[in-house]
Amino acid sequence: MTHSSPGTPGTVSRRRILEAVPATALAAGTIGISDVVRVDAEEIKRQGRSMILLWMAGGQSQFETFDPKPGTKNGGPTPAISTAVPGVQLAENWARTASVLDRFSLIRSMTNKEGNHQRASYQLHTGYVPSGSVKHPSLSASIAEQLSDPKFELPPVVSVGRTTGSGFLGVDYEPFTVRTPGQLPQNVAVPVPSQRYLRRLGLLGQLEGEFAGRGGQAVVANHQKLYKKSSRMVLSENVAAFDIAGESDSLKQKYGDTSFGRGCLLARRLVESGVTFVEVVSRGWDTHLDIFDRIAALAEQVDPAVATLVEDLEDRGLLEKTLVVWMGEFGRTPRVNARGGRDHYPRVFSAAVAGGGVRGGQVIGGSTADGSAVADRPVSVPDLFCSVCHSLKVDPRKEHLSPLGRPMKVVDGGEVVQELFG
Amino acid sequence: MSLPGTQRTLAVLTCLWALCPALDAAEPVPASRLSVEIDRLIDAEITASGGKPAPLTSDNDFLRRVTLDLADRLPSPRDATLFELNPDSNKRSQLIERLIDAPEFSASQSRYWRDVIFSRATEVRSRLMIPAFQAWMTEQFEQRQGWDTIVESLVTASGDVRENGATALMFAQGGEAAELAAETSRIFLGIQIQCANCHDHPTDHWKRIQFHQLAAFFPRVRVRPKRNSTPRSFEIVSLDSSPSRNRNTSPQAIAFLFRRFDLNRDGKLVASEVAKTRLAENFQRLLSRGDTDKDGGLSLKEFQKIPPPGNGNRRFDIEHFMPNLAEPDNRGDAVRPVFFATGGRATVGLEDQERRQLLANHITSKSNPWFARAYVNRTWSVLLGQGFTTPIDDMGPQREVTHPEVFERLCRDFADSDYDTRRLFKVIAGTRAYQRQIRHRDPNDATPPFAAAEPSRLRADQIYNALLGVLGADSTSSSRRSLRGRRPSQQGQMMARRQAAGRTLFLSLFGFDPSTPQEDITGNVPQALFLMNSPMIHAAVRAQGNTRLARILRQHAKNDDAVAEVYLLVLSREPSVSELGICRDYIARVGERGEAFEDLMWSLINSSEFLSRR
Repeated sequence: MTHSSPGTPGTVSRRRILEAVPATALAAGTIGISDVVRVDAEEIKRQGRSMILLWMAGGQSQFETFDPKPGTKNGGPTPAISTAVPGVQLAENWARTASVLDRFSLIRSMTNKEGNHQRASYQLHTGYVPSGSVKHPSLSASIAEQLSDPKFELPPVVSVGRTTGSGFLGVDYEPFTVRTPGQLPQNVAVPVPSQRYLRRLGLLGQLEGEFAGRGGQAVVANHQKLYKKSSRMVLSENVAAFDIAGESDSLKQKYGDTSFGRGCLLARRLVESGVTFVEVVSRGWDTHLDIFDRIAALAEQVDPAVATLVEDLEDRGLLEKTLVVWMGEFGRTPRVNARGGRDHYPRVFSAAVAGGGVRGGQVIGGSTADGSAVADRPVSVPDLFCSVCHSLKVDPRKEHLSPLGRPMKVVDGGEVVQELFG
Repeated sequence: MSLPGTQRTLAVLTCLWALCPALDAAEPVPASRLSVEIDRLIDAEITASGGKPAPLTSDNDFLRRVTLDLADRLPSPRDATLFELNPDSNKRSQLIERLIDAPEFSASQSRYWRDVIFSRATEVRSRLMIPAFQAWMTEQFEQRQGWDTIVESLVTASGDVRENGATALMFAQGGEAAELAAETSRIFLGIQIQCANCHDHPTDHWKRIQFHQLAAFFPRVRVRPKRNSTPRSFEIVSLDSSPSRNRNTSPQAIAFLFRRFDLNRDGKLVASEVAKTRLAENFQRLLSRGDTDKDGGLSLKEFQKIPPPGNGNRRFDIEHFMPNLAEPDNRGDAVRPVFFATGGRATVGLEDQERRQLLANHITSKSNPWFARAYVNRTWSVLLGQGFTTPIDDMGPQREVTHPEVFERLCRDFADSDYDTRRLFKVIAGTRAYQRQIRHRDPNDATPPFAAAEPSRLRADQIYNALLGVLGADSTSSSRRSLRGRRPSQQGQMMARRQAAGRTLFLSLFGFDPSTPQEDITGNVPQALFLMNSPMIHAAVRAQGNTRLARILRQHAKNDDAVAEVYLLVLSREPSVSELGICRDYIARVGERGEAFEDLMWSLINSSEFLSRR
């Protein structure tokens, strides 16, 4: 398969605009193209919006990243460095991020109660605490349900690394997991020439008739829908978005020759081709010991990747419509423990957001001098989720019925953090 | 949809249950007679509604259906031929009997219950005990334990999760009282009482307090990491005395505690003094919270003023508290354990083991009709594709039940047989209702259910076993080649481990929660991609080498024979005339025999029929 860039940088897909307009209206000549744009302004404003979640699995320490406290007892030995935003510092090791910090809003007053990895990861992905009786949809699924184009061939939600599923929103929004970013995912490459593949699919379709006629028609119809979707994906040119081979070496170098770097580059390519939500997971943030060395090592991978991602999105005119959220499931304890690590701490932690209409170069809220509590402007998980919805023009109060018939909102409670967009 | 005459709420049945106590002395009806009785009731209702039951399935379809249901695998082509040629008029019931008595039945049951319990695990780490659970559950079925005995073990289990598989439910819900109450009720009673967690039940008469009274049987269950264990393990323990919360916190008691730590009696605790006591670990934190005069030590006054640890932290609660919804920060009132279904109570302050034992007794008591209902409804839906209620695990007094007499009769018999699981399977599989042909059901059709069988999706284990059967040992031939030269035992072990890993991967791709209604189980894109494109399937459908397909092509020179063999292998039936026609055309069009047959084999493995129970 030859490589081609899936979209022209900086343009709105013409195909998408045309799809948003009833063909009959255009054909009848009753409205001109400028009317179309006006009529569907709201629709088009939503279209092309997407989100990239950079997930620091294990719980990212705020002290060694976004909320350094140099020279204090709890701050640890890590120095702070100045950034592109006057008066705002980041921890050392984040020099590349510091240089693009004017695109980010830092939230230093995230606060929550869950200090258990799975429970907190679930909550920071779905907005709900886990329960055995209902599988809540991840925010990615709720976003895709409202934003994604059903005619698009690739899955609307892609995750580089394992993540929380679509819950009761079902298979259409289930994250498609990529294990090795940069190359075609498992079982996507077709093992026979595509002519033969189509011929096989034809035989399969013919042979399904027997079972359909013998009482299996509902099962067959559903199966064929799924096979159509799957084969459309593997035969689509868009599938090339998964393969980063055609990107320039210099750009690949800038992202970093690491799994996370390739994941971020893949995220840009997928968003550019029309995928609604991409998550890129970085593992190893559960730093109960040797936190300073370990975060320095993690930063070597994450720092260049994130900074390059933001620049790259900006260069291609995608940043305005792509919200980038960078966080983990909780923060880490102010006190450095006896093994030179920090333990779980949900009471106050930090997150960073960029793009998607977020005003960069500001800090929202703050922690106390010793880092043990929120000093100013607490931001809860639902507040953050409402803000994500606001950025993406997704309705946070849309209700879906759980399998037991209970209406559940996309986000329950919370308010938009207006300062993010001011 | 309301069908007068054929549907009734469960409240009516509950009254009946209370009115007719079990007849202990009565001789149990033979299973086959009960099957006939069940059919009479079902057929009467279908006929009364003007509907017509579908005819019985062919021998081929029956063999495939019952082998998948009771042994989780496909019948071999040889089984299929022998069964069809067997002239014995009782061959179906003999086959049922044989499959239920085979060890595969126990293994299949343990896999099913693994999926029920672990699909809704809120503690993800609990997956590490799946092998222990499966071994334990298989053993329970092999030893022919009654369902009551099995459930009693699951509700009361403690100990190392890798050694005691019965701890599955406790670990899967992380020892959380509210989650344990919800899942115990859902799985063993078929009632979703957790809807009453925050408000009275929306559709049934359960009150909010009743959910919390159920949770009050579990507040002392704890999951603890096991120290120094390799591989890493956890244990289920009882927390019968609280280290802090229920401690006497009167000023006198605190003063007494203070004096015990104040070794030099100078009225002040300092770090060196408590270095070897249990205060040592948290002393710095205590200091930071309590040392108001900053002299580096704690006086008695300062010590008494330190707020108790873990405020708002349930870790130390040994009773269950029902939160006051108006005051989320207040932990609410302590609740006494009461079993909502029968009103069975427990006295205050019982130890964990006593509480859970008491709950197990209440659940499995023959005066509790829900226990038999939950199991019967589930088993019926496994075998018939649909339960007496939908979903199967959301029953309640106000829910409508289809074929109430049948349901009642089966539940009564299950209780009377002391919850004999094999007997129930035998009775249901022996009915004509089980053995009918599949038929498409028009949603507007008013015929009561079970007039025909409905196709349902195979569970992941069944698909995996079916694939192994279809692809033969050749699917692992590449690994065998790479292992050449090792000692056989070592090689065998590695093969076994490789296969176990392959199965686990497959199960995580194809698995689903078996409590989900059939219509919601639809498959997904990664599953389709696996069957369409994975190297495993691609290698196994090749017409060259030593694959099953290659052997069929060598043994059968005539294309029609080879097509029939491929059908028998993959779908356990012969091709129909029209299918044979399609295949002939296709082979002619492709022109290359091997390639055409590869495509045929690929198509059958990717067909919905292969993934369905028909």
